[in-house]
Amino acid sequence: MRTFLILFMGLSTGFGGPLTSEMIPLGTKDRPLVMRTFLPDPEMDAGVFVNHGKAEEVAKQRSTEGEKAEGESKMLKAVPAGIAVNHGPSLSYVWDTTECRMLYAWQGGFLDFYPTWSDEGKNEGLSFDGTPRLVGSLFYVAKPAERAKPKFLGYTLSKEGVPTFQFKLGAKEYTQTVEPVNRSFTFKVTTSRGERSDSTTYTGELVSRHHGFSRDLKFKKATTEAGKEVFQAYGCVACHSDDGSKGHGPSLKGLYGSTRPILEGDPVLADEAYLKESISKPNAKTAEGYPPGYMAPYKLNDMEVASLMLFLKSLAE
Amino acid sequence: MKALLFSLCVAPLFAAPYSIVDIPFPEGVPGEVGAMDFAPDGSLFVVLRRGDVLLAAPTVKAADWEWELFATGFHNASGIDALSQEQVRVSQMAEFTEATDRDQDGRADEYRVFASGWGLSGNSQEASTITDDGEGGYYLALGAASDNEPTSEHTLGEFSRVGRQGRSFAAVKWRGCVLHCDQGGSLTPFCYGFRVADGIHRDSAGDLWASDQRGDWRAVTPLYHLQKGKFYGHPSSLVWDTRWPKEREPQDAYRSDLATYNKHRTLPAVQMPYEEMNGAAGEPCEIPKNFPHFPGQMLLPDGDGQRITRIMLEKVNGVYQGACTHFLKSKDLRSGSHRIRFSPDGQQIYLGQKKEGLQRITPKKKEMPFDILTLKILSNGFEITFSQDLARRLKKEDLSFQSFIYQPRWTFGSEPEDKQKNTISALTKTGDRSYAVSLEDFSRGRIYQLNVNRKVKSKDWVPIQNTLFYYTANEVPE
Repeated sequence: MRTFLILFMGLSTGFGGPLTSEMIPLGTKDRPLVMRTFLPDPEMDAGVFVNHGKAEEVAKQRSTEGEKAEGESKMLKAVPAGIAVNHGPSLSYVWDTTECRMLYAWQGGFLDFYPTWSDEGKNEGLSFDGTPRLVGSLFYVAKPAERAKPKFLGYTLSKEGVPTFQFKLGAKEYTQTVEPVNRSFTFKVTTSRGERSDSTTYTGELVSRHHGFSRDLKFKKATTEAGKEVFQAYGCVACHSDDGSKGHGPSLKGLYGSTRPILEGDPVLADEAYLKESISKPNAKTAEGYPPGYMAPYKLNDMEVASLMLFLKSLAE
Repeated sequence: MKALLFSLCVAPLFAAPYSIVDIPFPEGVPGEVGAMDFAPDGSLFVVLRRGDVLLAAPTVKAADWEWELFATGFHNASGIDALSQEQVRVSQMAEFTEATDRDQDGRADEYRVFASGWGLSGNSQEASTITDDGEGGYYLALGAASDNEPTSEHTLGEFSRVGRQGRSFAAVKWRGCVLHCDQGGSLTPFCYGFRVADGIHRDSAGDLWASDQRGDWRAVTPLYHLQKGKFYGHPSSLVWDTRWPKEREPQDAYRSDLATYNKHRTLPAVQMPYEEMNGAAGEPCEIPKNFPHFPGQMLLPDGDGQRITRIMLEKVNGVYQGACTHFLKSKDLRSGSHRIRFSPDGQQIYLGQKKEGLQRITPKKKEMPFDILTLKILSNGFEITFSQDLARRLKKEDLSFQSFIYQPRWTFGSEPEDKQKNTISALTKTGDRSYAVSLEDFSRGRIYQLNVNRKVKSKDWVPIQNTLFYYTANEVPE
C-alpha cells in the first residue's frame, strides 16, 4: 500500500524503484519490473515449447501405503523458467529462458501473486499451484516456429532497468530488447546479432482478459470497510488512488455522482450503473485522459460489488 | 526464605548466555530470507525469497542498519555467495546466476547464467541451496518436488515418468541430488538420495554436510556427511544416477524390499527426533574456532521451533557420527530459522528465517555455559565431558539411557522401534570433568538417548543447560 502510494506521487521508495515483493507488483513505463517466477501458460500452442520436456500424467498414489490409487495426478498449465517484465499498465510480457523468445504479452496490469505468496496465512493452500495469475488483456501469443537450438546466456539492464536478453540460436549469438509503445496492444522488439540490428513494431488484438486470482471475499454484510478491503485485495489501489492523487487510472476520490468526460461520446454521470459497468466491462467506456483497454474486467461476487459501491460513495465529494 | 533461595537458584532455561536482537528490514519488505552471506568487506547480503537482494553494513544498533537494494527479480533463491560489493552468485529455481554491478552505481545491471542444466517441473519445493567447494566452485543441493503441487505440462529439461512417482518426486533432471559445480560453472552429480535438503555446508576441514526434512523415506531430521557417489536414502533421485537400471521405479523397488534399500543407503551421521530436537532442519554451520562457546562443533537451526540444535561429531572406525542437543532454546528466538552465518569476526551469529526476518545472537559472556561439552562413544558406552567442573561427583542415578532404531519407509516419518532401556553397569571418573559410562546391551546401529538429572550442577551451582541428548551409534569403536 505504502509503496503504491509513493509510486503515484512520483517519488521513489527508499530503494529508488519498485520492489518485487508486493502482492500485485507493478513497474512503470520507464522503469520496468523484471521477475523470474513460475508463470501461467494461457493455453498456448504446445509446439511453442519444443525445447521443453513433456510431462505425462501419472497414477495417483496413496501416501499411507504408497500403493497406486484411482485417478491420475493433474498437470498444470505453467511456464517453469520464464522471465516476466512489467512496464506498468502499458506493457507486460513473458520472455522464456528455455525457448529464448517472447511467449506472450498483455496490457493493463501484471501478475497477481496472491496464490504464490503468503498473506499472513490467509491464502495458504488456496490454490493447487503457486503460479501467479495474469491481470490485464492478453494481445500477443507466440506461434510455433522453426529455430535452431536455443541457449540462454543472461540479460543486462539499462540505466532505467530495461532488460536486454542474451542468447544463442545454434552457434549464433543474439540480443533482444522489448519496449512499450504509446499505442494499444503494441510493443517494439529489437533483435541484434553483432552489428546487425532489426526492430519490429507489433500490434495485436485482444486474445483474452484476465483479472488475477478471484479472492471471493466472504462478507456477512456490505459495508464501507469491506469495500475498502475489496479495493486493496484486488489491487485496484495499484492504478486508482483514493485521495485524488494521479495514477494509471482515474482517482476514485470524488468520482461517485460526478459527471465524467469519456472518449466514446457525451459525458456520463458516474452513478452506480456506470461504476458497476466499469468494474465488469471496463472498456465499454473510457475515461478521457486515459488510454483505452488498460483495465481488466473483474468478476466480483455480489457482496464484493455492493461493498465496493459503499466505499466509492464514501469517497464522493 | 526457602522460596527466595529457590528462585535464585532456578535460572531461566537458556535465557542467560545470549542476547538476541531482531534486525529489521525496511518497512513493507517481507522478511522471507532465502539465503545470506557476508561479502569480503563485511557487508551482509540477503536474498529474499520474493526476489530482492538487499545489502547492509552491520552496525551495533539493530535500528541503525541501512539496507540498500542490490539486485532484484530472482525466483525463490535459496543460496547466495557474496563475492564482492559488486558481485553475487545466486542459486534460483531455474539456474545459478551471477549478478554484477558493472557501472558501480550500487545496483546489479548484468545477470549472467553461471551454471544451468538441472530441471524444473514447476513445483515450489524445487529450490536449490549452495556451499562453496574451496576451489572457486560450489556444491548445490537440489530439492525434490512435492506431490502436494502439480507438475507443469512443459518442464525445464527432460521429463522422467519413473522419476515422477512418489510423494517427493524427481521428475526432472538431478532433483534430489547434490551437484558439484566447478569454477567454470560445469555441473556434475555428486551424490544422491535427498528429499528437500534445505542446507549444505562445507566445514573448515573440507568435509561436506547436508540436512534434510522428515517425511517420506525420512524417519526423523537427519544430518548427512556427503561423499561422492553415495546414496543418502530418499529413492526418487536414483533415476538420475546412471548406475540405476533405466525404467525401474526406485520407490516401488524399495518399498517392499527394505533389506536391499538398507544395504544401498548411507546412514545419517546424526538423527534428530523431530519433536524433541529439530523439527525442520536448516543449514548446518560449523562454530568458528574463536567463538567462545562450543568451538568446532556444529549448529543446525530449526525451521519449526524457537531453537537451534548443537551437534557434536566424531570419527569412529573412519566414519563420522555423533550426538545432538540444543545450543539455544528461547522465546526471543523466532521460529522459522533456516539460514545461519557467523559474523566475519566469528563472535556473533546471524539467523535468517523463512518468513520472520533476521536475528542476531551475541554471547553475553566468554565463559562456556554449563553443559555436556562432548559425548563420545566407547566400546561399551560413552565418555561424557562437562564444560565446567561439577558441584559434586556424578552418580549413576544422575543419568539414564535408552536406545531404539529408526527405519525410514515410504510413509511420512517413522516412529522409534525396538526401544530398550540400557542399564548403567559402571560409572568411572576419567578426568576433572569427564566420566566413562558402561552400558548393558550396548551395540551398534542404534540411537542412544541420554537423560541427565537437572540436579547436576556446576561448581557455581548452575544447573545443567541441557538434560536431553541423542547419540547416533552407527559404529562402535573396535
